[in-house]
Amino acid sequence: MEKRIKEAVRYLGYGRNAADETTLALIGDAFADLERIAAPKSVCRIFDMEQTEDGRIIVGNMEIKSTSLSRNLKGCVKVVLFGATLGAGTDRLIMRASVADMAKAVIIQACAAAFLEEYCDEEQIRIGSELEKQGLYLRPRFSPGYGDFDIGYQEPLMRMLDCAKSIGLTLTDSFMMTPTKSVTALIGASPVKERCPIAGCEACGKTDCEYRR
Amino acid sequence: MLRERLGKELIYFDGGMGTLLQEKGLAPGELPELWNVTHPEEITEIHRQYVEAGSDIVLTNTFGANALKFHDEKCSLREITARAVSCVKTAIRDAANGRTVYTALDVGPTGKLLKPMGDLDFETAYEAFREVMVMGEEAGADLIHIETMSDTYELKAAVLAAKENTSLPVFATAVFDERRKLLTGADVASVVALLEGLRVDALGINCGMGPEQMLPVLEEILRYSSLPVIVKPNAGLPQQREGRTCYDVEPEEFARLMKRITEMGASVVGGCCGTTPEHIRAMKALCRNMDIRPVTEKEYTIVSSYGNSVFLGNSKDMQYGSRIIGERINPTGKKRFKQALKEHDLDYILREGITQQDNGAHILDVNVGLPDIDEPALMKEVVQELQSVVNLPLQIDTVDAEAMENALRVYNGKAMVNSVSGKQESMDRVFPLIRKYGGVVVGLTLDEDGIPADADRRVRIAEKIIREAAKYGIGKKDIVIDALAMTISSEPEGAKVTLETLRRLRDEVKVNTVLGVSNISFGLPSRPVINSAFYTMAMMNGLSAGIINPSSEDMMKAWYAYHALMNLDANCERYIGRYSSVPAGSGGSAAAPASGAADMTLAEAIEKGLKEDAHTITVSLAGSKEPLDIINEELIPALNHVGEGFEKGTVFLPQLLMSAEAAKSAFAVLKEKMDRSGLVQEKKGTIVIATVKGDIHDIGKNIVKVLLENYSFDVIDLGKDVPPEKIVDTVLENGVRLVGLSALMTTTVVSMEETIRQLREQAPGCLVMVGGAVLNQEYADMIGADFYGKDAMQSVHYAQTIFSDDKSQT
Repeated sequence: MEKRIKEAVRYLGYGRNAADETTLALIGDAFADLERIAAPKSVCRIFDMEQTEDGRIIVGNMEIKSTSLSRNLKGCVKVVLFGATLGAGTDRLIMRASVADMAKAVIIQACAAAFLEEYCDEEQIRIGSELEKQGLYLRPRFSPGYGDFDIGYQEPLMRMLDCAKSIGLTLTDSFMMTPTKSVTALIGASPVKERCPIAGCEACGKTDCEYRR
Repeated sequence: MLRERLGKELIYFDGGMGTLLQEKGLAPGELPELWNVTHPEEITEIHRQYVEAGSDIVLTNTFGANALKFHDEKCSLREITARAVSCVKTAIRDAANGRTVYTALDVGPTGKLLKPMGDLDFETAYEAFREVMVMGEEAGADLIHIETMSDTYELKAAVLAAKENTSLPVFATAVFDERRKLLTGADVASVVALLEGLRVDALGINCGMGPEQMLPVLEEILRYSSLPVIVKPNAGLPQQREGRTCYDVEPEEFARLMKRITEMGASVVGGCCGTTPEHIRAMKALCRNMDIRPVTEKEYTIVSSYGNSVFLGNSKDMQYGSRIIGERINPTGKKRFKQALKEHDLDYILREGITQQDNGAHILDVNVGLPDIDEPALMKEVVQELQSVVNLPLQIDTVDAEAMENALRVYNGKAMVNSVSGKQESMDRVFPLIRKYGGVVVGLTLDEDGIPADADRRVRIAEKIIREAAKYGIGKKDIVIDALAMTISSEPEGAKVTLETLRRLRDEVKVNTVLGVSNISFGLPSRPVINSAFYTMAMMNGLSAGIINPSSEDMMKAWYAYHALMNLDANCERYIGRYSSVPAGSGGSAAAPASGAADMTLAEAIEKGLKEDAHTITVSLAGSKEPLDIINEELIPALNHVGEGFEKGTVFLPQLLMSAEAAKSAFAVLKEKMDRSGLVQEKKGTIVIATVKGDIHDIGKNIVKVLLENYSFDVIDLGKDVPPEKIVDTVLENGVRLVGLSALMTTTVVSMEETIRQLREQAPGCLVMVGGAVLNQEYADMIGADFYGKDAMQSVHYAQTIFSDDKSQT
């Protein structure tokens, strides 16, 4: 089974159980809708970074305090600021389904999440292969809201990427991203090749999560 | 002065600002507009270079200057704007050498997404634009240049703000991508239609791409636009190099492409990101003395929504066939719809919209007029809600002038408006609104003397409407004449007169036409027989758009057949797509239920989550069994069974919801039957649910809603991003005992806590259950909730406990 289907099934709360035929068929429909309607876009900028003695991370004009992010970026010399979105059409698709059929709505929303992760992975591989030419290797993506990396950092991060203009990604007053199917992250780049850069779930400290892989 | 030159000679804009500022030391993320105050010399210097390079219009450094981005921390918006204008003026004074150079107030997007996709109100956006535009005009700007817009709704807010609050010329450009769409999905025609409708002075494209990539977009803009076209490309596509954004198109190459763009028909040219004074200089050197192509009036009739444009017309080179305007969002003669309006059941109305789109409608008529209803308020709400789930253009159908203006103001796109008539009073009332907001207006062929009985006088009324509209600058392309269908049961010549009127309007007046088709059979039996035949005849006589019920298979058959027969359906593709799977002999009737409904019980259909089957079985069951018995003996036990499975972990969320939707379709059948017989199903209690203020994720709340409704609770759904006050007011107004609140993130749990605090204060008897991704029992206790539901079923159980306690107390 394709990875994105497995991921969608996981997001739908099936845990280790197999999804039923009807749900799988609807998942197929949802991905077909997304292929047609989603307009994935991404933006990235590479910055030099510095980690100070007292645990601050300095990227351009942005200064971050976060133990979890510090751990993630340890040994990195550069950092990629990254933003990606599936666009407003995907949100409309979900809103429409929410009125017409809630079962479809939750399935589209799960599939959109999987679709977005897949897109981010692809983009990260692309960025990574560019940086490998300079002898730099990427770490897993790390987003505001992970661990103690405060969600408030969305604002400077998105401003530095000029996300609204470049990919149409904006922030609400409560630091929620709109369109909702969007990701922002820091991706560290270090001269030392460590483990596979695409991870996320496994690295999280919340081990009792029902959506854990 | 500028208005006179526009479209007659080539006018040059300036080029990029951001890249030059970065060279001068602006850091990424730093707000460039602050430099008007902190580094005025640097800003003036850049402007001066553009004036020297030959720009006729220089933009102020105010792209992001609006109250939403500037919270008056370091300096006021007024100061930033005034300084920005004065920087340009200084540069012009120093370097223009007597040449006329205009100062354009540059207005970029707010950086926020408007509702319903984001959290910014249309009117808040409008206000932010208004503020800076008024300041700009006061400071001496010569025009307003709205640019880099990627959302038609925000574009509309900005243009309205400029037109309503200043007297300056308004230019507007948007960012298109390689798919020739805006980031929020609008196509070229819908952007052109919107901006022309709002009567800007010039429109076009900027940023996003280089000149080469813009060519296909430009070609399309030029095809539709009757206004001068602006083109301001980047110096190529942005490239990331060593952590910097670079643009690779050199001045000479840029100039060569801009010459081509001018030859194609652009009349205002300049550069955006990555372009420099050198680019402008090279462009001007190459394009000097070029004649621009004259701007011509285009005849396309376009209505649009935020993401979709629909063309009307059947003249020589425009063969769009006949458009279907869905008639179902209208209370006339529909008991269930009237009830939905009275109960403020917007979901019902939205589903009518979705169903019509699924059945093939191109445009949706929206009529919510009912005595004792606040039509202006409801119309506004319904239009906004419909536009969040359906991307079809809407036809605003009302006789209430206030409702019409409300709808036109908040409508995202260029609407169709139903209607104006040949009565002077009607034209005096409606045309100013069309002039202001844009729109394609339906003109009824009746006047002070009523509806003429002959085609001749109907045509004359049409001509009068067209003449009167012209006085407002509203062209014939923005008028669609309703030839009026009168029932043949009382007007024997009715159909013939209507058909002749249609034909003459097409051939002689050359105007588009519309018809409420089904009026023709009023008072006759088997109306679809007459309606569908008349529909075909009307299309044959040029009907541009028929207002029909797209769920009527007879009408749709007529439509598909007509388009196939008249070579308006290439290779009969649509016809084949629709009818190839229909078995021979069934005559192309509507599809039968999905699976073998015959041997399935309602309970089985619900447990398996089969919506159509549940509907069909309930219809047949309701013939022999009382609705309440069906509910108690079939529906509820099936729902319970599925719910238990969900809690045991053998049934999962999608299946739970499929069952819920199946049950819902069964309930709808039973509700209609009970309403007819005057029976009322006893509701278990009323629950208010909402996603709290600041939170725009409502999928969890919607899941809870579906399940609570399944279990016969009356749910008042306040939607998402709901302020505490509104929740409290609703609770007090309706004497509600239980509230369900949802929040997704830590940042919005704060609003949840505040809502609970206010509820405790003002509605102490009301209980609160909470749920959402970040919540857990501990968190719920901390903010003082009465119950934490880890999933939707738990909220159902809790509600059941609360309301059964209620009953035992009373």
